Amino acid sequence: MPLNADPSVRAPALRDPAARGRVGWLLLALVLLGPLLQGSGFRLAPLLDPDNLRVIGNFLANFLPPETGSEFLGYLGRATLETLAIATSGMALAFVVAVPLSYLASGAARERITLNPVSRGLLTILRGIPELVWALVFVRVFGLGPTAGVLALGLTYGGMLAKVYAEILESADPTPARALAACGAGRVQALLYGLLPQAARELTSYTVYRWECAIRASVVMGFVGAGGLGQLMDQAMKMLNGGEAASILLCFMALVAAADLLSTGLRRALDAAPQARALPFGWRSGLLILALAAGLWGSLRLLDMDLPALFTEDAVHTMGEFVQGFFPPDLGHEWLAKVLKGVWETLAISIVGTLLAAAAGLLLALPRWRAPWNLLLNLLRSVPELVWATITALAVGLGPFAGALALALHTAGVLGRLYAEALQNTPPAPARALRRAGSGGLQAFCYGTLPGAAPQLLAYTLYRWEMNIRMAAILGFVGAGGLGQLLYFELSLFHYAQAGTVILAMLLLSMAVDYGSAWLRRAMRA
Amino acid sequence: MSFALDEVGLTHSNGFASLSGITLSAAQGESIALIGPSGAGKTSLLNTLGTGHLPTAGRMTVLGQPVTASISASALKALRSRIGTVYQATPVPLRQRVVTAVLAGRLGRWPLWKALASLAYPQDIPGAREALARVQLQDKLFARCDQLSGGQLQRVGIARVLYQQAELILADEPVSALDPALSLSTVQLLVQEAAARQATLVASLHAVDLALSCFARIVGIRAGRILFDLPAAQVSEVQLQALYAGTQDRTLPPGRPPAAEPLAATVMACR
Repeated sequence: MPLNADPSVRAPALRDPAARGRVGWLLLALVLLGPLLQGSGFRLAPLLDPDNLRVIGNFLANFLPPETGSEFLGYLGRATLETLAIATSGMALAFVVAVPLSYLASGAARERITLNPVSRGLLTILRGIPELVWALVFVRVFGLGPTAGVLALGLTYGGMLAKVYAEILESADPTPARALAACGAGRVQALLYGLLPQAARELTSYTVYRWECAIRASVVMGFVGAGGLGQLMDQAMKMLNGGEAASILLCFMALVAAADLLSTGLRRALDAAPQARALPFGWRSGLLILALAAGLWGSLRLLDMDLPALFTEDAVHTMGEFVQGFFPPDLGHEWLAKVLKGVWETLAISIVGTLLAAAAGLLLALPRWRAPWNLLLNLLRSVPELVWATITALAVGLGPFAGALALALHTAGVLGRLYAEALQNTPPAPARALRRAGSGGLQAFCYGTLPGAAPQLLAYTLYRWEMNIRMAAILGFVGAGGLGQLLYFELSLFHYAQAGTVILAMLLLSMAVDYGSAWLRRAMRA
Repeated sequence: MSFALDEVGLTHSNGFASLSGITLSAAQGESIALIGPSGAGKTSLLNTLGTGHLPTAGRMTVLGQPVTASISASALKALRSRIGTVYQATPVPLRQRVVTAVLAGRLGRWPLWKALASLAYPQDIPGAREALARVQLQDKLFARCDQLSGGQLQRVGIARVLYQQAELILADEPVSALDPALSLSTVQLLVQEAAARQATLVASLHAVDLALSCFARIVGIRAGRILFDLPAAQVSEVQLQALYAGTQDRTLPPGRPPAAEPLAATVMACR
């Protein structure tokens, strides 16, 4: 019987054994917080400065009413189409890049698991360098305009798609493919008949999701002169034309919402069971494929892109010369120290931005009456970080703090929504029991709800922090500090060797984040 | 007087009347078992006593506080902090530590600053250990709740109510998730500890033999009404059969021999 008094039961000391560890972590956090705040340029004064507030207040007041002049609407329509076209052609290029690369890199349907290190390395480089950096570089080669955007999207997203395709194929059940190979099928046949049927749904779904991401990305790339809505937005922001900025933002939100709807619809359609007939396509999928082809053709026509011209000897020569300029990267002590400082600043921006976002997101996730708060969260997250950065730069001046604030605003929207969902899914019984024992609402939340939701909240926060490190590296393109600002300056001054070092640093940072997050996920699962 | 209900009824917003015409009172320190088929209203009665539902008819006074639909939020909160509830599945977040789960019993009396400070460093470790010692779990003081077995977790729930210093303890099927031997020792513990601090105990029980052997007073409920309210010794087999007529709910009726001899021996030890 477990209840019989047992004098040998060892009673623990009356001191909390976890206290020492907690104090240790707290001290470490406090010691790190100072330099982090300093690195991110955290200052409250400019946020409260009446002059700054007046400037940003006037600018925001200008947002109403949104500009609706017919001439401007014409520009806006064209820019919207251009953005869509860039995203679509970029995705087409990415697909063309990704299919052979994923075939080479994937261990799926191979006799022995041989991971092709060359194609794996190429993938890491392609997706490790942010699309914005590629765009910035291509703008130097092909001039301002959508070509740079399409190529940048094609390369980065090609790398991402290839990696995910390879992983999806590897995670499918290998026995059907193995059985086919055992009776003489080659690797391609084994892939097509053994693995693709299992993986098709997931592959398509991920591709559609990426297209949605490409629309957001192509807007952002406009800020470095790669055409579309972003370029228009950049101009409006630089002229402090609030009315135009508001129209563009509204248009962007509508576009993203429409893409979101379309992508959800398409993914749901994938779940429908096929009909019994010889042809694997019905009229709906036939129509879809036609629409896809027409969309791609229209996109290329609209962008007036001469794809073959990119592969002429002349273009390859120009490109090669340009790329050569980056080698060897400047590894002098002085410059390296500066780049390291840029890395630190980037990390500081991402950490301070994520912490601010987590605090704000939690506050916004708490209220019971969701509707108005969800609207606010949607507004916060539908404005891209780079756009927020141009606005926060008005409030606190150029520099890392503008970047941290921009990250905080966008991420608060994302995290707030995720937090609210996690809190809603936490079992309600513990908090209800506490309230039944006379506890107040806040206490019941802290003792009953929060401990249940904490692992989920932490996982979401770490995941966003990981994305924010990458984002903090490029926010500098609009003057918000970190590695991006360094790269932007050096490219503007045609210091390619120095720029090469910065790009290398970005690549290493991205790889470090990859490995770090994989390690953390394993550690948290254990 | 611990509580007094006079013609209390509880009608839900969908029109379903789960309690009607309940007249029941108890002196401080009594131990009462509620028995009856499932769906009879045992849980509804406990919820009403615990002010989770406010009665829709009749008058109710709990621990000297009249409970009406217009009771103020602060009065309700003060009253609730004196009522402890033991649940079928102890509702604690599984990643919470035992010490925190026990200390949470007094959240209704602690000021906010103390509740928040206790999350960083437990504010009353001796108190939590004392309560856990009453249920023989003092060695689990700093363990996490997901490291405990179901029976241990149930005792953590009891320790929480003991630490709360509740004057009225309600227990809703406190042992139906435990095996028979553990059920008996847990109910014993609950009765003993309630008696030791002069707290009134009202428990709903599925197992009639446990109710009859461990509780002084038995209240039989059927279809939202009290069928009988008697000292345990006066409950007859005829009354039990009327209570459970037409249902399959009764476990281990005293008319038949208990399933296992050792269990019977311990059942006798309860009195």
